[in-house]
Amino acid sequence: MSRRLGLLLTFAVCAVPARAATPVIEIEIRDHLFLPSEVRVPAGQKIKLVVYNRDPTPEEFESYELNREKVVMGSSKAVIFIGPLKPGEYPFFGEFNPKTAQGIVIAE
Amino acid sequence: MREQLRGARFCVIALSTLMSGFSAGAMADGFVVDKVYHPYVNPIERELEYRSIFVESDDAAVDGIQIHQFAFAHAFAERFRGEFYLIGANRHGDNLSLEGFEAELLWQLTEQGEYWADWGLLFELEKERGKDIQELSSAVIAEKEFGQWAGTVNLWLIYEWGGDVNNEWETELKAQLRYRYARFFEPAIELYSGQDFKGLGPVAVGSARMGEGRKLLWELGIIFGVDSDSPDQIYRVMLEYEF
Repeated sequence: MSRRLGLLLTFAVCAVPARAATPVIEIEIRDHLFLPSEVRVPAGQKIKLVVYNRDPTPEEFESYELNREKVVMGSSKAVIFIGPLKPGEYPFFGEFNPKTAQGIVIAE
Repeated sequence: MREQLRGARFCVIALSTLMSGFSAGAMADGFVVDKVYHPYVNPIERELEYRSIFVESDDAAVDGIQIHQFAFAHAFAERFRGEFYLIGANRHGDNLSLEGFEAELLWQLTEQGEYWADWGLLFELEKERGKDIQELSSAVIAEKEFGQWAGTVNLWLIYEWGGDVNNEWETELKAQLRYRYARFFEPAIELYSGQDFKGLGPVAVGSARMGEGRKLLWELGIIFGVDSDSPDQIYRVMLEYEF
């Protein structure tokens, strides 16, 4: 039993908050487009994306490369943490409007 | 690099816990091999799911058993998803019979990537059909991403009660180490430790987009028993349609 409690405590201690200095980048969804569609971020650092959906319908921010999938309800916002990323390009798209809602994160 | 080392440590903890005999568990009278849960909920998503395991064993009491689960899930809030299951079983080509029902609630505790690991809680209530057997389960779910790898651990606490079963507490461990090679194919290794089974084996996971807002996910694996009490192997399959 003590081994199990120890394991749970280990997990609990590991759940420390992200650093306060996490850069914040804002993206808008408007008319089923990501604005801006190109987002430059520092490599090797955790980033907080705040995605505002200005459309009345939901959209899903999706990127296999970033390992993120998040529904942003209509006229609402969502927070998505990404990184730390290696330098490179990481495409993302809107799952509900994939033909128009496309973007890319460039880590440099 | 430091993140990767921490991630590796996370998996070593899971592995060493299993191998040191993290106690028993698993639906004492069922099988621990099922699936490894991830701690994420995506609002408004709905899912139709089919899961099955097939047991091969020298023990005639369990050889040939196949368990099927049919489920519907709905993420009814930003952090909560409910799922309802019909559980069936058959053996050696016998007719499929309905064996029980289950309701499940997944609670996403933290935003993905916000903390060192991502956390969730799972609650399940299962009722066996035609028998006075109930089971209440809860699990702590943790997932850690490090580079292209993702490690997931489910720690279960289970209470089983009723007139047709010995009332008892059980524990259970499930873990998965997955390499995110491509959307349609992610190789993984899974570990299971329960009252009647301890084992590990390879699993393949993947998904394919089926149009706007629709996706098909699949998992296929074979888990080998690692001690004399465990069945030789348990095959598992999952198909999930998200819409």
